[in-house]
Amino acid sequence: MKFLCIACDEQMETQKDGLFNETNRSISLSFKCKKCGYAIAMLTNRFETEFVSKLGVEMGGQSEVGSGPMSMVGSTLAQGKEELKQSEPASNAVEWTQGAKDRMAKVPFFVRGMAKKTVISFAEERGVKVIDEALMDEVREKVGM
Amino acid sequence: MKTYDDLATDGGSNIIGQVVNQREKLRFRLDKIKNKIALLSGKGGVGKSSLTANVAACLAMQGHKVGILDADLNGPSIAKLLGVSNDVKLQISADGVQPGEGSLGIKIMSMDMLLPSADAPVMWTEGKDATAVWVSTMECTALRELLTDTIWGELDYLLIDMPPGSDRMDNIRDLVPELAGVVEITIPSNASQHIVTKSITKNSSLGVPIIGLVENMATYVCPHCNEEGELFEGEDTEQLAKNKGITFLGRVPFDTRISRRTETGSLFYSEFKDSPTGKAIAGVVGKILNFIETDSR
Repeated sequence: MKFLCIACDEQMETQKDGLFNETNRSISLSFKCKKCGYAIAMLTNRFETEFVSKLGVEMGGQSEVGSGPMSMVGSTLAQGKEELKQSEPASNAVEWTQGAKDRMAKVPFFVRGMAKKTVISFAEERGVKVIDEALMDEVREKVGM
Repeated sequence: MKTYDDLATDGGSNIIGQVVNQREKLRFRLDKIKNKIALLSGKGGVGKSSLTANVAACLAMQGHKVGILDADLNGPSIAKLLGVSNDVKLQISADGVQPGEGSLGIKIMSMDMLLPSADAPVMWTEGKDATAVWVSTMECTALRELLTDTIWGELDYLLIDMPPGSDRMDNIRDLVPELAGVVEITIPSNASQHIVTKSITKNSSLGVPIIGLVENMATYVCPHCNEEGELFEGEDTEQLAKNKGITFLGRVPFDTRISRRTETGSLFYSEFKDSPTGKAIAGVVGKILNFIETDSR
């Protein structure tokens, strides 16, 4: 899927951040025209989200999340061994509370890299060192989409 | 206005690049394995996994390095058959996951090894409204990850224990185009023979090399006197193979010890290779090796 800015006849670029709404399992991805700066958001319904999540690729480009062994199996097995879940590299830049980690683990792996980046950028802009669930709620509210 | 083909990339996700990367990783892993063989049956309950385990044992006892991929994602049994305990801690590194090591040093990867307990089912995070499309796509990706992310190392043979039915073959053919061939397995019952012919026809039309057809549970062998008796009534499987233009690999009699031994991880073949069933397994393996040797010339 590609997006074109009609006014500029230029390809729109995928932005490297995105959100995942746990309630309705919808993804919000933004695309921007690098010429005029016009931005749009692509919103998926849960069925579209589920389908893409099974392909084993990551939206916004491959991240540390998807490059770990058995990423898809580890993140989609309802009852998988703990080692599989722990194989995902942790971010050293900030500290995550267990609640925030658990919540992030529910984000499908193919957009988890993007969602992580969104939350970390938000925390860094505000000088926050510990990411908790309240901050994640704030991200969703402030970044919107 | 520009069209889809005028836009060189997908705007930043580089999905094609990611797929190419996945393929390269898969090739890196599979290039170290000399021969890949799929064992399948049209129907369940024909003793496919037991036969796979004992074919692996026979190959290993001949000095070959052998691995088994349990492609039966929803009914995994190979780990148990080869004595790899469910509670073994997974060794995961950036390079991948270490396979289990079963009887005779046979390397194994199975969904069973990824589950937290012996009675845990293979269930995905989706709820009951998961559609067939999601599940099917997910299983294709899961199979690729099991192949790619297992540190198989150098192997002479990788046996792929397929699930019942022939639908997963499309997936395997795509992932392992260099597959040496498939071993079709049936029992001498009309129902099983009926289904296995569909599998043979499908694989022929897909261009998948068929190594041959095995008649498993051909007879019943008394463990006390080695006398054989009939178990099922059906058509002549050897004739069926002839009709389909494929090699008949042999008849393997049923021996009650085959399941007793494999249940404890001690492979039947390694202890009873001189029994009628053991000799029949060796005969099947001989023909498989002959096919591969002839094919490689």
